[in-house]
Parts: sequence; structure tokens; C-alpha cells
Amino acid sequence: MIDFSSLQGNTLWERWQYFAQTTPDKEAIIHYRAADEPVRWTYAALLETANKFSLYLKNIGVKKGDVCAIIIRHNPYFYPFYLGITGIGALPSVLAYPNPRLHPEKFRQGLTGMAQRSGLDWIFTETELEDLILPFVEDKETTVNELFFPLEWNFHKEIDKESLQELNFIRAGIKENEPMLLQHSSGTTGLQKPVVLSHSAILSHVENYGKSIELSENDKIVSWLPLYHDMGLIAAYHLALASGVTSIQIDPFEWVLAPILLFMAASEEKATLTWLPNFAYNLMASKLSDEEMEDITLESLRMIVNCSEPVRAESHKKFFERFNEFGLNENALGAMYAMAETTLTVTQTEPGKRAAEISIDRESLSSGKVVISNDETKNRVCVSSGNIIEECEIKIVDNNRDEVDGDGSGEIAVKSISMFSGYRNYPEKTAEVLDDEGWYYTGDIGFLYNDELYVIGRKKDVIIVAGNNVYPEDVEDVVGKVENVLPGRVIAFGEDDTELGTEQISIVAETNFETEEELKKLRLDILRAGMSVNININKVYLAPSRWLIKSSSGKPSRKANRERIKNKNDEQVWSIK
Amino acid sequence: MISDRLKKIICDELYLDPSTIEINDQTEAPQVPGWDSLNHANIIVAIEKDYGVRFKGLEVLKCNNVGALQKLVDSKLSN
Repeated sequence: MIDFSSLQGNTLWERWQYFAQTTPDKEAIIHYRAADEPVRWTYAALLETANKFSLYLKNIGVKKGDVCAIIIRHNPYFYPFYLGITGIGALPSVLAYPNPRLHPEKFRQGLTGMAQRSGLDWIFTETELEDLILPFVEDKETTVNELFFPLEWNFHKEIDKESLQELNFIRAGIKENEPMLLQHSSGTTGLQKPVVLSHSAILSHVENYGKSIELSENDKIVSWLPLYHDMGLIAAYHLALASGVTSIQIDPFEWVLAPILLFMAASEEKATLTWLPNFAYNLMASKLSDEEMEDITLESLRMIVNCSEPVRAESHKKFFERFNEFGLNENALGAMYAMAETTLTVTQTEPGKRAAEISIDRESLSSGKVVISNDETKNRVCVSSGNIIEECEIKIVDNNRDEVDGDGSGEIAVKSISMFSGYRNYPEKTAEVLDDEGWYYTGDIGFLYNDELYVIGRKKDVIIVAGNNVYPEDVEDVVGKVENVLPGRVIAFGEDDTELGTEQISIVAETNFETEEELKKLRLDILRAGMSVNININKVYLAPSRWLIKSSSGKPSRKANRERIKNKNDEQVWSIK
Repeated sequence: MISDRLKKIICDELYLDPSTIEINDQTEAPQVPGWDSLNHANIIVAIEKDYGVRFKGLEVLKCNNVGALQKLVDSKLSN
């Protein structure tokens, strides 16, 4: 296991430099590609190129504290560029590459919303996106200084001594408690919550989380997770680079089309650790054929950590039964509970031990009590997300934020040494979730049993689709504007898709349309409206005027209407599936 | 050219009426309502079932539009 106390460096740059000096030839990043040989970055080569990026960034005017948005697809130069930004004290912020279905204006609106909160100073992207992004950068109201294309920069020249001294001078002024990166929560129309993390928050987290998974110098992380997502960025990228281990990075777009890539990379490179959202277990178990699995062994994987959406017992079962014959170790099936606000991990299951499952009486659970039950007809099987990691605390609270009894369920509140300091430029949202004593109220519902955390639901209405948070407000906003949907008369909610092992988005909208033909056309218009903001609506329920139940605030109630839809006995509701 | 059979499989999987949706050789997944990354796997499985063929992930990865998917189906059927 890594002795974290012996690692040098109080900032991320210092830590990376330490590995470039002590283990220069060790592979830092293996940039995996479906059609080509991987690109392999050693720690020394990665830092050398990052230095060149730092100098270039300094010369174009990027300063310490500037927020640098990166919108770049899977590319081997992404990594040194990201490091190069950190190397001059600026804050990298990885944004999702726009999906082709996203309407250009909606994409720019998203950037505007993000820029208002985060104060984006620079955008670094690919030449292909110039026409899409330039109008946003040229807007008088924007905070963005300029748009650059770092993949086009030419780096033939070596850095001279004087330039290196200038960079070292800048780096000496970067302090451990200063901001290191900025992450955004999901959302499309300005609901993103920017989280800023300091060098010390990340380094403390790397140490505490690394210990909990018994991270060793010989570990190799493999991941297809996008780097704009906290699990991809922290677990599969920062954890590796700040611990001196190797990270194998797969293109998320390629993985979705060819899920075998994860196992190919794991098998070829003998990877030991990976993190997956729950839907990936179902997808891989049902999609990968014996023919594809030929020549693949999963023996090297010592931990496969389920995170980012509710962990389902049936997904672990399905995954293990499918891949056991290919060397998958049952005890590799772990889980964690994590969020961007605490840098990442709050709880983690023990290495070498399958995530525990317990059967709880459903009825008691609905009234907030945890009662173990053997009656299969009344049970709910809950999967553990593990023990609390070091320098982190949890309490379970009721609606008044008072701690519940030992056997009670309630909202999960967290305190951590790696806690964010509040959402950037969003004091009202920060005040909602962070109290004066430093407790962060997650909005997730769970309970503690034998010192392990079980997450069972959410207080918030957020829909988690394949590990991505989608806010119902975003969906309702776009559907509410569709012609022939009665204005403001729409709700969005998540419906379980047990086959896929995740939630999918459903909407209920009121309309005056009545005929089958009209309703079918309206459904298509609603699906297209969702597509324009890159939201895939799975089920459309259409109902007549005044069907939706209102809450006390006068708005349609998501909870009450979702329950009404679930009962499936209302003839007034039209749906095609 | 896209066969009616392939178009019908895709539309059935996405609950779309084939007569109201334009799908041709050049059509890419993001242009079809409902065809996202989650539904992609279901569509591929539905095509495999209907035609009685099996695709490898890497073969599907190379299909950048529906025309390429049709060619992949045709090549499997001719083997």
C-alpha cells in the first residue's frame, strides 16, 4: 500500500513534479483508442509537455485564479494541457463536448448560465467548435476573454531557462488552500452548480480515499468515465496522478457504442481498479457476447466500484453471473457513496469483500425504521455503500435536521476535510445545503447499519440517468414551451428501468389534443424539444386540461402526479408505451 | 439503401411511426427522436434478434450512420 505520508508536494503541481522526478519512466496515462495503439505518457513526458502548455498559457495572458473551460474530445494532449493550466495557478474546468443533437443556441445558453455563476475566463476547444462558440465569446455580456485551440499549438521549441524560472516563480506563489479546479453539476439551462476545490481538499481526499481502497504503486486504474463528471475526474484521473499510479483512459463515446473496450483495456493492461455507474453493469452483462469476450480475462481487476446512481443488488448479481467464467472475482464487486461537494468519496466498501446486501422490511422503511426481514414478499434488498472514509463524518437526520435514532432512516448529512467551500457565486443555493457547523445536507435518504451506509432514495426530485443528474425543472421548462402543451402544465420525473439498471425520464403534460393522430404528433414534438437540449425523454404521458394535481404552492406536484401515473388506472392518460 | 425492415425495427424500438420519420443512409443516431446512448444498445439487440445475427462492439463502433449499419447487417447475412 502507498505510504501517503512519504509523498511530497503540497499542491497538485508539486505532487506531479515529485513523481516526474522520482518515477520519470513510469506510465502516468495510457490514452486508449479503439482503432489505434494507445498513446503512453510517462510522468516525465507528461510534465515536460505540461510545462510547454503552462508557458504558452502564460504568454497569451492566462493568470493565476482564471477559470479555463476545456471542451475537448478524447485526445492525448488533453492531459498535459489540463496539467499545464494548473501549472500557472489557473483553474481547469472540464465541460461536456456538445452532443450533435443539442441545438447551437441551447448550447450557448448553457454556456451563458455557466459563465454567470462560474465566471469562465477562457475557453479552450477544438477548431470544429469555433462557429458554435464564437458568438458566445463575442457577446458583450460575456465574462470570457478569448477562445483558443490548444491542440493546434506548436511545441517544437524547448523551454529556455529564463521561461522555466518564470514558471517556477508563479508556481512558488500557489498555495495549498487556494482553488485548484472547478467542476459543474449536471443540468442544461443555468441550473449547474459550480463547485471549487482546493489543492489541499483534493490531496487530502486522495490520501483518505487511497487508504480506504488500499491503493498501491502497482495498481492500474481503467476508466471510460467522462472527465467532466466527478467520478471520472477525481477517482480515475486525480487519484491516479496524485498517487503515482497509472490511469488508462477510454473515450466515453466509444465505450457506449462498444462496451467491450473497458474489458479489452483491463485485460491488455492488467488493470486493477475501475468505477462504474450502475447501468453499466446491466449494459455490459446483457450486451457482451462470448465471442467478444474471447481472449479476455478479468482476473487482474481487484475492485469494481459501483457509484453515481443507486446500487442495485440485481445488477451485481447479473454482472457476476455473466463474467464469473472470465475470471471476475466476486469480491471485486464494491460500491461507494460520493459527491462533488466532498471532492468525491464519503463511504467505500472494504477491498476484497463484495458489497454487503441486507433485506429490509419495506413497510417499516417507508415509515423511517430499519427492520431486518426474512419475508421475501415484503423485503427490499439494499446494497451497502461501505464504511465512512477517514476524516469524514455522517449523520442521518429527519426533516428538521435533527439526528434520528440508530435504527432510523433519513437524509444523509456529511462533513469532510475535503469539503467544498460553497457553490461559486451561488450563496442562496449554498445556504440551502451547508449549515454553520459545516454539515452538508445531501438530499439523499439512507441509513447506517453495522457502521455501513445504505442509500435508499432521494429527498430531491433530481433524476439520475446513467449516472448523470438531470433536473426535472430543465425538462419541464423545455416541454412547457412545446406548442399545444398547456403552459406550465407539465411535470417530469424519473421512472425505474430495471432492465437497464437506471432511471429514465418521463413527463406528464396537459393538452387539449384528443385524437390519436394529434397525440402522436405532440409526443414527437416533445421528444424533439428534449433532443434540442440533449435530454432524452423516454415516456410521454398526455392528459387533458386540469388533470395534474397541484401542490400547496399552486404548481403541479411531481410526487402526487408521479404516484397517480404509477397506479396506471387512469383512462384519461394517453401514452404509447 | 435502408430497407423498410431495418427502419421498422428502429422505429418499433423507439415507438415511432415510420411514416412520420425520415431515416435514410445518412441519418445519424442523434437525429432520430429517442435514439440516445441508452437506447442504442436496445436497438442493436433488436436488430440482432430480428435478423438472427450477432455484432461485435467494435463493428458497431465503426457505423457512423444508418447506412453503415445496414451494410453491416447485409455483410452478416451474406456470410
